[in-house]
Amino acid sequence: MAQAIDLFAAASAEGAWTVGEVTRRARALIEAGLPPLWIRGEIAGFKAWRSGHWYFSLRDKAAQIRCVMFAKQNYMLPAPVDGMQVFVFARPSMYEEKGEFQLTVSELLSTETDGLWKLAFEKAKASLAKDGLLDPTRKRRLPLYPRRIAVVTSPDGAVLRDIQSVVGRRWPVAELIVVPAQVQGAKAEASVCSALNRIRRLPVDVLIVGRGGGSIEDLWAFNSERVARAVAAMPMPVISAIGHETDVTLCDLVADFRAPTPSAAAEAATPDRAEVLAQCAVVGQRLTRALRIASRHVVERLERSGDRLTRCMDHRMQAYDVRLTSYAARLDALSPLRVLARGYAMARDEQGTILKRIDQLPSGKEFRLRVTDGEVHGRVR
Amino acid sequence: MAEFGKQLERLEAIVRRLESEDLDLDEALKLFEEGVERLRVAREQLAQAELKVKKVLEIESSGSPADR
Repeated sequence: MAQAIDLFAAASAEGAWTVGEVTRRARALIEAGLPPLWIRGEIAGFKAWRSGHWYFSLRDKAAQIRCVMFAKQNYMLPAPVDGMQVFVFARPSMYEEKGEFQLTVSELLSTETDGLWKLAFEKAKASLAKDGLLDPTRKRRLPLYPRRIAVVTSPDGAVLRDIQSVVGRRWPVAELIVVPAQVQGAKAEASVCSALNRIRRLPVDVLIVGRGGGSIEDLWAFNSERVARAVAAMPMPVISAIGHETDVTLCDLVADFRAPTPSAAAEAATPDRAEVLAQCAVVGQRLTRALRIASRHVVERLERSGDRLTRCMDHRMQAYDVRLTSYAARLDALSPLRVLARGYAMARDEQGTILKRIDQLPSGKEFRLRVTDGEVHGRVR
Repeated sequence: MAEFGKQLERLEAIVRRLESEDLDLDEALKLFEEGVERLRVAREQLAQAELKVKKVLEIESSGSPADR
């Protein structure tokens, strides 16, 4: 009985534990007895809060535990879905305010290799496909002779160097507009979107989005649905050169052209200056040949006209000839010489005036008398 | 700088016209002269070009509303 009394003796304001003391003690015991560890289970009741923190349960056939994964741990991860088998690295603890046993998760992996990423990729891809953004007919043709080529990439990486060297060699006629972006890390998604947004308003003929190779996590910004939608909405054709050829990102899928490397992207964006020069030479030859042909046509036409003119003139001359002959005959008939031949004579004075009347021939007047075969001098008596 | 693509397009049109049509010598000459001039400009552009690289800062210090 004494024991019973002792027991109840503690049921007092001084003897009893407070709720807070118990949970604190329990938390200390749990944290001391269970160090952070890997746990395998299935995700259930997943919920991402506006704060970015994730809440879910991890369960198996026997039991379940409440889990929290804070935003600062999960920001780089695609969200899991209920039913997914995962490994979590977590610190078992007590959420004192609620008196709940819980896991504070710092790592979360799908049991399948890259499972979370693959899942997120497929989800985003399906969403893009639903909106028709993966439709091959959406793909635009790249410009033949770009004036301005924009590049979104890390400002000091090999990607930019490669692109700059290829464009400089092939098509220096263009202007390269570099819009630096963080292509890796927590801010990559926002940074790439902001760079794209900036280019949207620039008079750019073609855009290259580039990123060197890396792990699936490194390339994640280019698998973000937000980035993919921004790429799809660009007003100019987009060439995507992300990672290695084997890593297909969402950005690659929505771009108008996918290049295996940044250099290949720069080649796709530009014509080769040497080829264009050769093309110019051909155009020059065609120009001169065409002019020669055109002028030959003109000469031929002139010759044809000349021939016609000559023919025409010949014809005219013949007609004139006939008329001249007839005029000559008529003139001949009217000639005064003809009259003289018939026996008439013509008297003229020294000035050649014809003397036709008596008063023109006073006594002593000298005159010349024209007869048919010559002239004789005479004087009026 | 005239747009290079447009320049080549116009050149092609000139050559086609010269090649296909029975033109007056006057017009043919005019087209030829235009073609030669455009070709000269195009070649000059190609020969003298040196790649210009311009960096646009991702976020300008002012952070104008247009950037968001």
